[in-house]
Amino acid sequence: MKKDNVENNQVDKVSEIPEVETQDTETPLDRNVRLMSPTRMVVRRFFRSKLSVIGIIMLAALFLFCFLGPVVYDEWGEIEVDESPMVEYTSKTIEYEKNGKTHIIYQITEKTEKENALAPMSSVHPLGTDETGYDVLARLMYGGRISLIIGFISVFIITVLGVIMGGIAGYFGGVIDNVIMRICDILMCIPGFPIMLVFGTVLTAFGEMESPNALQEIMGDPQYRIYFLMAFLTLFSWPGTARLVRGQILSLREQEYMVAAEAMGYSTSRKIFKHLIPNVMPQLIVSMTLSLGSMILYEASLSFLNMGVQPPYAAWGTMINAASDLNILSNYINVWAPPGICIVIAVLGFNFVGDGLRDALDPKARR
Amino acid sequence: MLKYIFKRLLLSVLILLGVSLILFVLIQNMPSSFAENKINEMNAGGAIVDQATKDAIMEMYDMSYGEWLLRIVTLDFGESFTQSMPVVDVIKRDMFVSFLVAAIATVFEFMIAIPLGITAATHQYSFRDYLVTVLVMIGISLPSFFFGQVLKGVFSTGLGWLPSSGLGDATQSATGIAYILEYIKYLILPIMTVVILSIGGRMRMTRTNMLEVLNSDYIRTARAKGLKERVVVFKHAFRNTMIPLVTSLAGLLPSLFSGAIITEQVFDLPGIGNTAYDAMIVGDVPVIMGYNMFLALLSIIGVLLADLMYAVVDPRVKLQ
Repeated sequence: MKKDNVENNQVDKVSEIPEVETQDTETPLDRNVRLMSPTRMVVRRFFRSKLSVIGIIMLAALFLFCFLGPVVYDEWGEIEVDESPMVEYTSKTIEYEKNGKTHIIYQITEKTEKENALAPMSSVHPLGTDETGYDVLARLMYGGRISLIIGFISVFIITVLGVIMGGIAGYFGGVIDNVIMRICDILMCIPGFPIMLVFGTVLTAFGEMESPNALQEIMGDPQYRIYFLMAFLTLFSWPGTARLVRGQILSLREQEYMVAAEAMGYSTSRKIFKHLIPNVMPQLIVSMTLSLGSMILYEASLSFLNMGVQPPYAAWGTMINAASDLNILSNYINVWAPPGICIVIAVLGFNFVGDGLRDALDPKARR
Repeated sequence: MLKYIFKRLLLSVLILLGVSLILFVLIQNMPSSFAENKINEMNAGGAIVDQATKDAIMEMYDMSYGEWLLRIVTLDFGESFTQSMPVVDVIKRDMFVSFLVAAIATVFEFMIAIPLGITAATHQYSFRDYLVTVLVMIGISLPSFFFGQVLKGVFSTGLGWLPSSGLGDATQSATGIAYILEYIKYLILPIMTVVILSIGGRMRMTRTNMLEVLNSDYIRTARAKGLKERVVVFKHAFRNTMIPLVTSLAGLLPSLFSGAIITEQVFDLPGIGNTAYDAMIVGDVPVIMGYNMFLALLSIIGVLLADLMYAVVDPRVKLQ
């Protein structure tokens, strides 16, 4: 701890007066002072926090599980039903009295099911099978792929839209700024989840049309529904990012280096994308990491409400939905609890990393 | 002040117009055969939707934006064909349960979160502080549908203490206090879900604000004067911590009435969120539209109230 403090002080000293002191060859300062680039300092601060390290480990484990898992664990596919017949015995006891004697009859019926549904945890199915006979572990992996990929794509789109709109609004100001910000106000007032219900209905309607055109046919296909829903959601989610970017650019615009850029005669797009946006990056990265978690939650909630990924394909939310059956809820925890735990790990992981990044990227925190 | 309110009201109207336009465009894109099919399906299933209702619904698809707008200004959202009553009445009927759950949950949320948030701030880096951090993380990352199922699994199907879903038992005919107790039993789990998931955010808010206030100069002065720590914290610091909390209370307005779609779905509560979800499943467009406009209106009022409250609570704020 004490050593740490000494090191910190030295780093501070160097960052304040770097050049003069290090060029002084008489005292070999570089022996006890380590020069650090800003990136390295950020990395160091990031890894100093235990929570962000835990977050990184959680996310790495989850990614390995989802993307490499199916390669290793390849006995069962995502939509492969275990068709090994399951023999089920049910016994029934019948008691009756005759001539003063009690007779007890044991009736045993043998029932052969075609699918091995709701199998318990075993070496064949480490997490058992669900009510249709799909292997839970395999579906957990494939479902995770969908959730993570959708999360990344939607956050990427939100960020691109937000940066463009926020950048334009902040840079140009005036009427353009006003118009874009009013659009943001409108979009922010639209209730997020309920509007998805409307859009979901529209998509269902497309699916039931008698003579749809090509676009309506694709949009109505339940298999692609989650992609359209999430695309629609991104259209309503960019105002948050746009406001962040705009606010940052409004303050950066007034700084001297922007006056210099102006004097050099740089083009507008160069000023925005080369000089302003990179300075917004720290906040942007933090908000992106944090919204990854919320996007995964959104996708899972939609899937839970049967609006997202449709059976036979798997998603974490869809898998938890199996627990609406009270029998499964109380007797087959292995079917619905693992996807819930996966969601929690994913969201927690992104939140831990996001919080760690926020502290690490904060220029005021000189630690 | 009056000028500011007037300006904000104008802006709110503009925003509402924008929201309604987006909703209208969405519905216009829906093939009109859809509603007709749904109504025919329902009629085939035994429910009789009369011709007048059917015509009224089909009329919605032929309306221009202006006509539609004129109707919703008079709160006429049309007729719900699944409930066979006007949408406004459907909303009025189902709002109560949602409001009850949300209101009780909000009271508990504030009652638990504020004291915990304050002790977390006054005992920074202590056990209580870490407890707050953990609760915050739970609130952010537990999906409500998963947590709801867990609670259901533990308390209703596992221990058998509480009913798992619905509201009220039709076979029971208790009256008076017994009836209310019976009613409450069904609400405990949903309220618990909402409270535990929302408590973290509120606590973090209290803690951050309290820390900020505790680090300010006047608190140091108060301590230097030799005031008791209790007086410093609860009289000097707490009052300023209340400002953002009270403001956020106004912002909670929409969530009080909107109903939690997912929680209501998990516990099968007959609230407004559940009705909206059912309406989506069967394609009852008027209900979905009405619900969305209702929520948009609420959130605009919420934002407006929050801004005004801010000026009321904090005399330094001047509205322009």
